Amino acid sequence: MSITVESGRWSSATQPAPWIDEDWLSLCIGLGIFALALGGLAGMDVLGWVVSTSVWTDPGQALGTVSKAYAGLGGAGALLVTYLALLLVLTASAAALSLDVKRFAAGFTGVFALGYASWIIGSNAHVAAVTPTDLQKFGIDWSLKLTNEGGYVVALLFGLVIANFFPRLAEWLKEAIRPELYIKIAIVILGAFLAVTAAGKLTLATSILLRGVAAIVEAYLIYWAVVYYIARRWFGFNREWAAPLASGISICGVSAAIATGGAIRARPLVPVMVSSLVVIFAVVEVLILPFLAQTFLWQEPMVAGAWMGLAIKTDGAAVAGGGITESLILAKAAAVGIHYQPGWILGVTATVKVFIDVFIGIWAFVLGYIWTNHINPTRDADKARASEIWQRFPKFIIGFVATFLVGLYLALGTSPEIAAKLPAQIAEANTFRVIFFILTFFSIGILSNFKKLWQEGIGKLAAVYLLSLFGFVIWVGLIISWLFFSGVKPPLAT
Amino acid sequence: MSEPDIRKELLNAPVEPLLPIEKKLIGWSLGIGLVLLVVLVMINHFVPITIAG
Repeated sequence: MSITVESGRWSSATQPAPWIDEDWLSLCIGLGIFALALGGLAGMDVLGWVVSTSVWTDPGQALGTVSKAYAGLGGAGALLVTYLALLLVLTASAAALSLDVKRFAAGFTGVFALGYASWIIGSNAHVAAVTPTDLQKFGIDWSLKLTNEGGYVVALLFGLVIANFFPRLAEWLKEAIRPELYIKIAIVILGAFLAVTAAGKLTLATSILLRGVAAIVEAYLIYWAVVYYIARRWFGFNREWAAPLASGISICGVSAAIATGGAIRARPLVPVMVSSLVVIFAVVEVLILPFLAQTFLWQEPMVAGAWMGLAIKTDGAAVAGGGITESLILAKAAAVGIHYQPGWILGVTATVKVFIDVFIGIWAFVLGYIWTNHINPTRDADKARASEIWQRFPKFIIGFVATFLVGLYLALGTSPEIAAKLPAQIAEANTFRVIFFILTFFSIGILSNFKKLWQEGIGKLAAVYLLSLFGFVIWVGLIISWLFFSGVKPPLAT
Repeated sequence: MSEPDIRKELLNAPVEPLLPIEKKLIGWSLGIGLVLLVVLVMINHFVPITIAG
């Protein structure tokens, strides 16, 4: 068994080389969904059949179509059509990735069923209802007040339980456990959603973008240096282990560990082990930090959003953590009569994460240059090349920027009629974004087999991670988030 | 192909002292990072986030 470098997942070793990677695939799928959603601007409601879930007490009322034009499908019909559409697109993607298509289709069926079941459970009024008015409306006297996005936590816990107590089921699902693919598709779609949100408050959005620079400085120049020093001097790791470990803890988890491992010519096993560790700790962080943020930072929502982006490693967990944080803080604020516009807290998290991601290629090149010229001088053919910057560049970010810019143009640069129709169309695409978030959470849970990783000798690596993460990464991230975002509130909902 | 025993490898790995180039990398990273952070905090102070429109 080994873990594929694409996603840090368990997989068999005998696969033909795919002709496309997950990065480009996520870009294509995300842009495809975005383009289809825009069909509504020309009067064609192409995606209105996608299933959406409402907060419920009667299970029969839980599901529906996102557009009233397809209401005739009913909730179960919408769920079935959504499943079939995703099965078709993602199975084709699996074929492009040279995966076992039959196993993927079977696994995806399980992942979708269990993941969406988690989402439905998380939308029960006893979990999701927030305000006293909601409680009255549903005729209940208590609720966990997690909003329906508490379904993400349910999906994560479902995945964890399966990984640790039902390993045979986890093994059956494994071909479809693709958290990196799912979250990258979601992030491409998220660009459009954030554009519509930002269009209403362009100056604030620009200010947030500019502050993303602080995240780059923190992750690459401060975190990395400190973690590398700790790993080398305090824990005695050699360079081959210390550099990917420092990148995994400091920058962007899986992608950074893999890029660094490649840059310093480490054995593939090294970044793969680090990636596994990153996923495990990201799960722990997602289960803890959003609730800490809700308790202590609900009056500083933007600080909380930035903190998630800086403290939680891996794109999937960070952006998903931002989503949970947003729902928890909006719920707490709503309970005291403050109704913030949704999208801003998550927007800050995504901005911080995307800014950090952009520089992975450059950082990998810098490390590659130092390693191949000064630490392990190699022959010219093996030296780090500038083209590696592009090779390491996370391509899905192109999709995120494209949907953001096109969305912004449609919202601000076109006729009022088009601008008025846009939010409903982006909401249809955004429903897919939510589904891909659910798949991500569930998949991350499935990857987290604590016992297996411990048996493989990950304990010493975990000690560095634990010390670095809880010793300073989380707290420095909080301080810097506070320095740049304290006092800034999301716009109020109108 | 058999996989290496990582537990043993990590426990028994010989110590590699920090090379001057590694010390430079750590020192310069931290130095530039802290200076840039101070600059950004100053920019943030003098050009605060604008919430209006």
